[in-house]
Amino acid sequence: MNAWKTTAVAVVAFVLVFFGGCTDNGPGVFAPSLGSKTVTKYVAIGNSLTAGYQSNGLYQSAQIYSYPNLIAGQLKLAGATLGTFEQPLYSDPGTPGADGKASRYEIISLVGPVIGPRGLAPGSPLNLSLARPYDNLGIPGAVIFDFLDSASFASKAVPPRSNPLFALILRSAALGNSVFAQAKALHPDLVTFWLGNNDVLGYATSGGVSPAAPTSLAAFTYLYSQAVDSLRAALPNASIVVANIPDVTTIAFFTTLGPHIAAAVAASGAPFRYQKHGETGVASGNTTFTEATPPLICLTGSAYAPLLGQPTGKWYRDKGYPSLPAGIDTTKPFGFHPQNPWPDALVLDADEQAVAATAVAGFNSAIATAAQAKNAVVVDINAFFAGVKANGYFWAGEEFTSEYVKGGLFSLDGVHPSSRGSGVLANQFIKKMNERLGTKLSYVDISALPGIPAGLSKEGNAIPIIPPEAFQELELLWGSR
Amino acid sequence: MTRVQLFAGVLTATLFLANHTLAGGFQLNEHGARAMAQGGAFAARASDGSAIYFNPAGLGFQSDASVYAGITTISPTISFYGPVESDPGVKTSMVSQTFTPFNVYLVAPVTDRLVVGIGAYNPFGLGTEWPDGWAGRFLTTKVDLKTYFVTPTASYRLTDQLSIGAGLNYVMGSVMLGQDLAVSSVDLPTSPHVSVSMHATGVGYNVGLLYKPLDVLSVGASYRGSVKLDAKGNVSFNPDYAALALPTGGVNTTIKLPATGFVGVAWTPMKDLQVEADYQFIGWSSYDQLTLHFAADNSETVAPKNYQDTYMLRVGGEYTMDAFHFRAGYVYDHSPVKTEYVDPLLPDANRNGVSLGLGYDITSHLSVDAAYFYLKFDQRVAVNTIPQTSFDGTYTSHAHLASVDFGYRF
Repeated sequence: MNAWKTTAVAVVAFVLVFFGGCTDNGPGVFAPSLGSKTVTKYVAIGNSLTAGYQSNGLYQSAQIYSYPNLIAGQLKLAGATLGTFEQPLYSDPGTPGADGKASRYEIISLVGPVIGPRGLAPGSPLNLSLARPYDNLGIPGAVIFDFLDSASFASKAVPPRSNPLFALILRSAALGNSVFAQAKALHPDLVTFWLGNNDVLGYATSGGVSPAAPTSLAAFTYLYSQAVDSLRAALPNASIVVANIPDVTTIAFFTTLGPHIAAAVAASGAPFRYQKHGETGVASGNTTFTEATPPLICLTGSAYAPLLGQPTGKWYRDKGYPSLPAGIDTTKPFGFHPQNPWPDALVLDADEQAVAATAVAGFNSAIATAAQAKNAVVVDINAFFAGVKANGYFWAGEEFTSEYVKGGLFSLDGVHPSSRGSGVLANQFIKKMNERLGTKLSYVDISALPGIPAGLSKEGNAIPIIPPEAFQELELLWGSR
Repeated sequence: MTRVQLFAGVLTATLFLANHTLAGGFQLNEHGARAMAQGGAFAARASDGSAIYFNPAGLGFQSDASVYAGITTISPTISFYGPVESDPGVKTSMVSQTFTPFNVYLVAPVTDRLVVGIGAYNPFGLGTEWPDGWAGRFLTTKVDLKTYFVTPTASYRLTDQLSIGAGLNYVMGSVMLGQDLAVSSVDLPTSPHVSVSMHATGVGYNVGLLYKPLDVLSVGASYRGSVKLDAKGNVSFNPDYAALALPTGGVNTTIKLPATGFVGVAWTPMKDLQVEADYQFIGWSSYDQLTLHFAADNSETVAPKNYQDTYMLRVGGEYTMDAFHFRAGYVYDHSPVKTEYVDPLLPDANRNGVSLGLGYDITSHLSVDAAYFYLKFDQRVAVNTIPQTSFDGTYTSHAHLASVDFGYRF
């Protein structure tokens, strides 16, 4: 009986101890924090990607989702005393194009779909009178040269730059006579810096025509290291976070039309004829899209893709050619005959791709070196975009891909991220900052960000139709200087 | 459209559809209050109608016809802290639900050595439900499962010490699961809510043997073969935006549930006291992925699961004093789910369970058994979850179970 009693007591004791673990003790509550950093001023430097430019326009309802604004939000949650993160907000529907109407693309028709500007009256700037520089100094069209350049802002609004956004965003030399000067005037303790994309994108998105080459590596390396050196000299104690450049093949602008054209080519049985770099007349390009590096078709070709095989000269008319270039015969089937080939400006052939790839690799090496030398952190956007292209991007059960429109990451111009894509980018910066700066920022909740406004667009497999005029803005921003 | 997630849901849902000896999933021991009170360590004794579940060979030692029937209530509490990706500290609690599986076993000796029986039980009337609009809504909002096993069994006592038995399992199940559909590109007025409703059928078999070399010692072993379940049903979307061309309509899948085996030893160390220890093996490694087929567009999606073989340890005992039987037990349940595969449809973890129970012989024919079981899951940290999940965080779970069974011996 004694043994039984002891056992009984032991059993009861065990059960009581066991039940003592009855309450659900979750993990300790995570509170976002800045670690040992103080952040009282955050400044973002960059181009259209930084400005929150989306779907070919700069407009408030996209600018509030720029990755710097999202990062600022997470910094504040972690205790940063930033005040309002000021951006050069422009009311919807946004900035005007060359025709004076808002240049922003929208989904115009569900059938097609047809995508382009609606011809709306543009918006207007909302806080031009801010008495200090904006915290977001992302300027659409900026190249690395522009960071330190102190030429007048107005001079960039006329040809050859034809970019009014320097004047709009930098406003007055009294605030600082360059992007660098204005950033410095704000005395930031945190800076993000993402420039260099346009140094290759101008070349690539124009099909290698205008400019006819990316920024030279020597020039880029010099300018980039000068930029980082200047920043570090002016802000010896600030955290500087730079991002590198993705490969052009990872953006929707280059990957959308190709499969449709390849399918049309396969169906026709005839090879696709396209102009190689520098060709203006009879074309030597010849492909069935089965080789290792097929040509990439630019999204700018979307209005012309449906005309394949027809005797058309629409491209030459749209471009305002006074007469056809020597050797061109528009009675021949468009895209299938060397005398009526797919134009150089609408295609990135294998050599042009190689030029772009070499440029990007060179730029990224220069970025890494400069950052290392001046104790700046590098966010490897190149690797990230490559990974997304290969495997997609997942977030709490939601899947994103690099596909045009459907994929969710790119906006309607195929180059700039959507608001959700911006959130994904912000999280890459945050991840790297947590890793290297000792901060404990919480991530942006991607599923809480808006998607592309649409009726219920048919996300079918049709070729998206974007009228050629819609690309004027793109060409102006990135075109030849 | 992320069908991948629909799948993960169905897969997990159907885990429940079988064999209640599943380790992992919401597998709990409610096959009879007497056994449940002893941590389900019963395969080496199997001395009442619940032998139909624990070890069919147990029927061979039963000389009286009997009925054993009852019901269990299961009340789980599950919380999730996360997701780490956006809000690691936020706690979401699963909606409280109580489930009530039942069991009915009939035993009838045919001859002196041959005993037959039939059992009907629904070992899984369980589910998981998360609040509307929660962070994991694109993975799951609700899973609701019911299963019915009908098991005709026959057992033959070869000698006074050895009995063998076999049964056939006819399995019927219904699975309902819901989630919100993520459309990553465009803004929709409301995210469509996906509902999948499937019925499944399958067959399996069990075999067992029970050996009593000594009056005070018995050894039992039983094996349940894997069950191939054919599940078929419908998927619907609300709202069903025509422009998205969602595959509303038929959906079907096949799931092979793993085999499981028990080995147990029971011992009578002193008069009126029986103790038993069982080891249970579950061959979950056969479950590497699930393919879901949509009739509307003839498409298929594949969800990886990569479950691991696993085991359970059960220990229990019963002390009889006059008409009362005092019972207690302990179970350790090792999870088959690898860390990166943990998701909110099935927030699994290693578990420890403690049971207590009481039996009372009301008359020489009629008895009643009551049991209480408390199951505590280890805190499970889901980290580096697979891309299709991408939902890291911490899960804490526990469940209270109570069971009552009446037995009538003819």
